[in-house]
Amino acid sequence: MHSESKIDPKIMEEILKFGKNVIDAPKLVSAPDEISLEVTPHDTVQKIDKTRLLHYRPLTEKQHKTPLLISYALINRYHILDIQPEKSWVRNLLLQGFDIYMLDWGSPTSMDKYLDFDDYVNGYLDSAVEHIKNESSTEKISLQGYCTGGTIATAYTTLHPESVKNYIATAPVIDGWRDTTVISNLAKHMDVDKMVETIGNMPPEFMYYCFSVLKPFEQGIEKYIKFFKNIDNKKFVDNFLRVEKWLGDTPPIPGELFKQWIKDIYQDNLLIQNKMYVGGELIDLKKIDMPTFTQIAVGDHLVSPECSMPLHYAIGSEDKTLRMYPTGHVGMIASSLSQKKVLPELGKWLSERS
Amino acid sequence: MQPDSSKNTADYYKHLSLFWTDIMHLMSSKPQALTSTGPMRAFTANSKKVTTELIEINEDLIGFNQYLTEYYKQLADAWGVAQKKVNLKSPEVPQNVEQIEAFKRIWIDMFDNDFTELFDSKKFGENYGKLVSKELELTKHWNNITNVVLQSVNLPSKEEIDEVYKELHSLKKRIGKLELKLKKKETRKNA
Repeated sequence: MHSESKIDPKIMEEILKFGKNVIDAPKLVSAPDEISLEVTPHDTVQKIDKTRLLHYRPLTEKQHKTPLLISYALINRYHILDIQPEKSWVRNLLLQGFDIYMLDWGSPTSMDKYLDFDDYVNGYLDSAVEHIKNESSTEKISLQGYCTGGTIATAYTTLHPESVKNYIATAPVIDGWRDTTVISNLAKHMDVDKMVETIGNMPPEFMYYCFSVLKPFEQGIEKYIKFFKNIDNKKFVDNFLRVEKWLGDTPPIPGELFKQWIKDIYQDNLLIQNKMYVGGELIDLKKIDMPTFTQIAVGDHLVSPECSMPLHYAIGSEDKTLRMYPTGHVGMIASSLSQKKVLPELGKWLSERS
Repeated sequence: MQPDSSKNTADYYKHLSLFWTDIMHLMSSKPQALTSTGPMRAFTANSKKVTTELIEINEDLIGFNQYLTEYYKQLADAWGVAQKKVNLKSPEVPQNVEQIEAFKRIWIDMFDNDFTELFDSKKFGENYGKLVSKELELTKHWNNITNVVLQSVNLPSKEEIDEVYKELHSLKKRIGKLELKLKKKETRKNA
């Protein structure tokens, strides 16, 4: 029996082109290891243990009086906020005349397994704020916390409100029980005591697993097909490799800090109930009485909007703004939308209060 | 000791193994004393611990395999359901580039939805939690066996190193807080 083939010759053409792109890829693009993620010039102004306080060099003649300190998340590194000039959160704010500092948490090793929330909030973050206050001769600074860095910054702001003039919470992890993400489901069923007792720090490989179950087929297959299809598109490839390198560079999380984070936020949900303690002091969200700007991404699959939004309603501030953007967790801070909408809105709000 | 009907086979072999380890240790303790400073003396003194750990590793491996099987079963089930949905939505074999693109989009969306639903479910979370917990038990046994080897060459165990880390952390914390207090005082003075 003879059957006539109906396969479009274009399919073969596409397959052959794709194969050629895969072979040509190493000749056309840099290896991720060869790419530097340090984009905007900065100086390291303070080092404590493995943490570094970075001060970005100004890009404008005049600057707003109040400096802004960014408390980045505990997962991956701060580079996503300065991933490339056209999408850099830091560069955009510098161009709007802000004096920017960034706290790099560094890469904890086994000997850092006992670092806890108290060390991060009342140690590293407080030391950074104190350094900035001294260096810029101001009594208060503006503080931005992103993702889990938002949890740390929120705790800091309630304990040291006298040092914070404006607070910006960007996709903060606040209400664990309302979080609808896969990460929250895994966290709720985790025997975190046993994990920390046995392996110490939370290993990066475990974090990779947690992220690999988020949109596994889009992120695990389609993303790479797109990469090889667009291998001639220099801009696309450069952006892809930078984000991939950033995704692959996640430091371990200190065991004690991880334990408290999972238990107090995801399992017992103490922060939003004003029942969480850091360094023996109660975290009362009502003490956040300074101007506060909360930024939420509607399509966030790492920290769901339901998890971040309660902060806006729980704080004591009367001058508070909530903004929601039609994008994802990373899209809110490193995309054309963030450059065109998120950052101009934040800049306007902050400049009126700086 | 005979394995009676009330004792299961695993318990019997556990007892049998520990009995012989103990007897061998007692029988050989005198010659061992001659080489009390060498590594073998320390190692054999702790060999019962290694045996116990190995037996428990086997028990935990059974549990680990159960949860691992369930883990892959859940993934395979989700795959089957998602594939059926794709077949229903797109029954024709794609014939051109556009159709392939459309099919790929449907496939990825269906699979992402179904797998996210699985990963979000209580049954997956519970099983995954137990799987990781068993894996940690295995790591713990491995740590304990390694400790015996470390002690046989007079090196500190994991617990002893942890104690040092804890002490260091506590000291660093106290110094850090004192330094910060001084810094704040200085700032206030300069203001």
